[in-house]
Amino acid sequence: MAKTFRTLFIFVWSLFVLTPLSWAVVTSFKPPAAVNNGVTFIPWVQFKPTLSGWKDILGISGYANLFPNLWNSVVITTFSTIISVIFGCFAAYGLSRFNYGWKFYKNPDIIFFFVSQRIMPPVVLSIPFFLFLKTLHLLDTHLGMIIINIAGLMPIVVWLLVDFFNQIPREIDELARLEGCNPFMAFLKVILPISRPGLSVAATFAVIFAWNDLFFALNLTFTNAKTLPAAVVALNGTVTPFWTLSASALFTIIPLVGFAFVAERFLSRGGFAGASR
Amino acid sequence: MEKKRVNVRLVSSVATIALVASSVATWSLTAARADDAGMGPGPKAKAASFPAGGTVDYTKQPYTPDAYKGTAITKDGNRDCSYHNTSMKDYSGQTLHVLAPPPPNMGEPMEQHGAEFTKLTGGKVVVDHVDVGSLYSKAQTAFQSGISPWDVVVNFSTWIGDFQQDYYSIPTKYTTGNGELATMLPLYKQIYSWNGETKLFGIDADRHFLKYRTDVINDPTAQAFYKQKTGQTLQVPQTWTQYNLMAKTFNGYAAAHQPAGVPFSGSVEIMKRDDLMWSAFINRVAPYAKNPNVKTGFWFDANMTPQVNNPGFVRGLTEFVDAAKNYIPQGGQNFGLSDEISAYGAGKGLFSYTWDDAWSQSNQPDSPIKGYVLAAPNPGAETVWNSNTKKWDTPAGGVNRAPYIAWGWSSAIPKYSKNKQMALDFLCFFANQANHQIDLSIGRTGVNPSRSADFTEAFWTKNLGWGKDATDSWLATLKTYSSAHNRVFDLRVPGNGQFMSALADGVAQALAGQATPQAALDAVAAKWKDIEQQIGVDKIKAAYQNVLKLENS
Amino acid sequence: MQTYKLTNTYYKRAFLLPGLILLVAIIIFPLLFTIRVSLAGWNVSHAGLDFVGGHNWARAFHDRLFWDSMNRLLIFSFFTTILQYVLGFTMAMVAWRGIASRRFFRVLWLIPMMTTPSVMAIVWRSIFREDIGAANGIFHGLGLHPIAWSTEIFPATFTIIIAEVWQWTPFMFLILLAGLLSLPKEPFLAAEIDGASAWKTFWRVTFPMMAPISAGAIVIRLIEASKIFDSIFSLTSAGPGNATETPSYFVWKRYFTEFQISYGATLSLIYLIVAIIVLTIIGQIFARLSKPKGD
Repeated sequence: MAKTFRTLFIFVWSLFVLTPLSWAVVTSFKPPAAVNNGVTFIPWVQFKPTLSGWKDILGISGYANLFPNLWNSVVITTFSTIISVIFGCFAAYGLSRFNYGWKFYKNPDIIFFFVSQRIMPPVVLSIPFFLFLKTLHLLDTHLGMIIINIAGLMPIVVWLLVDFFNQIPREIDELARLEGCNPFMAFLKVILPISRPGLSVAATFAVIFAWNDLFFALNLTFTNAKTLPAAVVALNGTVTPFWTLSASALFTIIPLVGFAFVAERFLSRGGFAGASR
Repeated sequence: MEKKRVNVRLVSSVATIALVASSVATWSLTAARADDAGMGPGPKAKAASFPAGGTVDYTKQPYTPDAYKGTAITKDGNRDCSYHNTSMKDYSGQTLHVLAPPPPNMGEPMEQHGAEFTKLTGGKVVVDHVDVGSLYSKAQTAFQSGISPWDVVVNFSTWIGDFQQDYYSIPTKYTTGNGELATMLPLYKQIYSWNGETKLFGIDADRHFLKYRTDVINDPTAQAFYKQKTGQTLQVPQTWTQYNLMAKTFNGYAAAHQPAGVPFSGSVEIMKRDDLMWSAFINRVAPYAKNPNVKTGFWFDANMTPQVNNPGFVRGLTEFVDAAKNYIPQGGQNFGLSDEISAYGAGKGLFSYTWDDAWSQSNQPDSPIKGYVLAAPNPGAETVWNSNTKKWDTPAGGVNRAPYIAWGWSSAIPKYSKNKQMALDFLCFFANQANHQIDLSIGRTGVNPSRSADFTEAFWTKNLGWGKDATDSWLATLKTYSSAHNRVFDLRVPGNGQFMSALADGVAQALAGQATPQAALDAVAAKWKDIEQQIGVDKIKAAYQNVLKLENS
Repeated sequence: MQTYKLTNTYYKRAFLLPGLILLVAIIIFPLLFTIRVSLAGWNVSHAGLDFVGGHNWARAFHDRLFWDSMNRLLIFSFFTTILQYVLGFTMAMVAWRGIASRRFFRVLWLIPMMTTPSVMAIVWRSIFREDIGAANGIFHGLGLHPIAWSTEIFPATFTIIIAEVWQWTPFMFLILLAGLLSLPKEPFLAAEIDGASAWKTFWRVTFPMMAPISAGAIVIRLIEASKIFDSIFSLTSAGPGNATETPSYFVWKRYFTEFQISYGATLSLIYLIVAIIVLTIIGQIFARLSKPKGD
């Protein structure tokens, strides 16, 4: 019974996940007429597949070339993730192990302060950030985008890691202290190595959120630091080219899927439970 | 350890001071528009690298579609910014930044002419593409912060009221004498200027007009069917009443040359709230609310009272709602401009009535309805509201015509640009005779006829392979508009976006059945009053005088 | 909150402060700026920070459409988050208990979250377009009546929820799976020795132990869900009428198409305050619910 349910669930859910994706794959090979003149599903039977949607985004036809944007996205995502995970894991460890606070303002409130930074709709922050980066002369630069992204990523990283550190028994820290480590060394040498699943989850989220950020990229970059999502959205002209956009949607995911395979390996390797014994 | 603790304390106090300082800075900061940033270095002189009257060839440009490979060749013109003249300017080492929508509309010609400009002058042209929906806010954000990362911006001419103070005035030598824009029709010269100064570099010109299917309107079977159903004669609709009846009658009809498997509806319209629906809606209202005898305004009266809820507007909206219920394609209530173009081009409707795009789409070589679409002026009305006497008037001749000269693509040079001379030279080169002709030949560039030479039939039949009938009907329509009186123009005042989105909100509520047309438009009028207060009644009134001049011309 | 006291204040500060200061340094300017702007009359024709007092605030409190959109958001984010939680938990349980080629499915199930929402929304639009979309195409093939996906309120709401669930359930899945993987084994062994059924084990052991992480995941998801924008923009344009308009969309329009900077700032601050209050209450409720069973 449970097994049937499980199999059924896997099947149905995978189908649900794949439906829009496979539709995007099919659409990316359609000529415009096969989209606009009526629904078509099966290549070769209902329409003659063409590569023009893909050629349009890969710089082959001269329409658009997403590779420079891919590079921008990679640089910005990598650095903003690394920085926010480094700063975030220290803060999270601190919040998990020490008592902070002032009168009524305690650890949970500080954690909530971090998380609450994500509440503001990005559109509202786009103008102050514009002035901010303009003053620093960082508009349309990688560094500027990295700084802005950190503000969005750190809340997620801190919130996730506090939970993970909380689940690591304190005895481990104490053992390390007894062996003569100071708290820093204890954290670096003992805690971090066994928190790989937590770190990889946090980094995965950071990468995804940084990669897919649109509003800031849309407003704070022009040509030099334009990221992939901003460049993809900019393909949407007076006539929506569903075929090109489908191709670019897939083009945007492929690097992340590769990343997911790597990150997943860290995630699935044991867990804290094994390490703590 | 003691030392380290002091360090930490030091760091935290420095951080605190920095925070306090930045808060104070915030409070006293003023975001404001900046001053003009000058013309820039300009070109050095060099020997011409392009022969006078030489051949301009775009067939080797990337992304010129195969269908146009035969036509994208022409001879260089002889005006100020011809290929020959531009090739005597040396811009090597300089870069021009352009804000433009994606290809094909405007984005494509910007890229292509940019590449040619580089070849001739050595100056680089970098295009920042953003989606159509972000063009406005991206430019506005930068300008209000006192900078412009771009030397040229592509925009909608309807935003002129919001942006005119940010734009550099184009010198008259470009619009007169041997300037590239000299032969532009006076109507469009007026649209591109503000208080007598040319603010927009006119690379396009637009209007809304009717497209109809000849395999219904001119088809004897359909005519008999119509006669039998309604007792009336089937012809090109002269009024919205006729239009509505025809659309309703032929909704679901099997047109003689209907592409297989494509459902047929009466009318393809833009009804998606945040997607230019307001602009389509103006056509529905214009002949009911634009009275040739009223000189005090279409949008406001002499006291700046909004007219959006007068009976003319209500009548237009009532019919719009009726259309949504009865004779648009499935899902048509959520059609944006993009959907309108592709749906009409695919043969999904009898009529459509906005920009040229749907027209170009249906005349393209691969269009399934090529040869069965003609153009005509948009319908008029057999009655028109008089906002002065508060009565319905019967127009002279039985039909009141009020063509809507809708906004279109244009370009401008922000006054914060530090490289204006190069921007001028580039835009002028962009608009030169050869480039203009090539852009017109490639139907999807978004460039439409605006100069006296554009209105010759041979150009279209020869270069684009359009049918003679189609071309004639189209050119005749455009000519009617250029010489018409009693025209409707966009509300070219500061806050245009706010006014139009309030209007779209109201119309959408009526379409969705959330409010009656009257109640919805009353709410819009109340909102417009608020907007006038927020922006300043005087400011709007002063700007509206410019629109009035156009309306009464 | 149970934390360990390692006496040294130096380390205590050195852990938290760099991150906190970095965040505050980036965020303080926009936040103060937004507050300042909300007291000014910055709009399309008047750029600058004059002082108009509480004018925008008063206007915001009377803006019926804004408060309507707030109500709508409560319902929206509640339903999508609950759906995502239930489905995400099921997925995590399924993946946790080992399935054939586990890795493949785990990555497959994560993929939706990696797609750019704004672009996916366009793909969804190509699916739910009523005339040329895949959904009605399939319905037609099956001989069923086509559905008004974007022009009637129920189907329109449904398509937005579908798009949101598709995109963000993996978020729940990943967090909950990571949580499950880090659970200690002993309680499960104990339950096994007691001979408890799988169902009972779930409710007595797994679920309570997952309560803290669930609470966090739900709060974070609520925050993200309340910013819902792309699917509305692309699928319904807030229609029919304004039936699917949410505050983030409402504010976006004030900003992007109308450039009412001061008013938009005010609306978003109100939204921020309401969100903080609501989320604090929800956080309290969760804390209370998960306490008796916890350590």
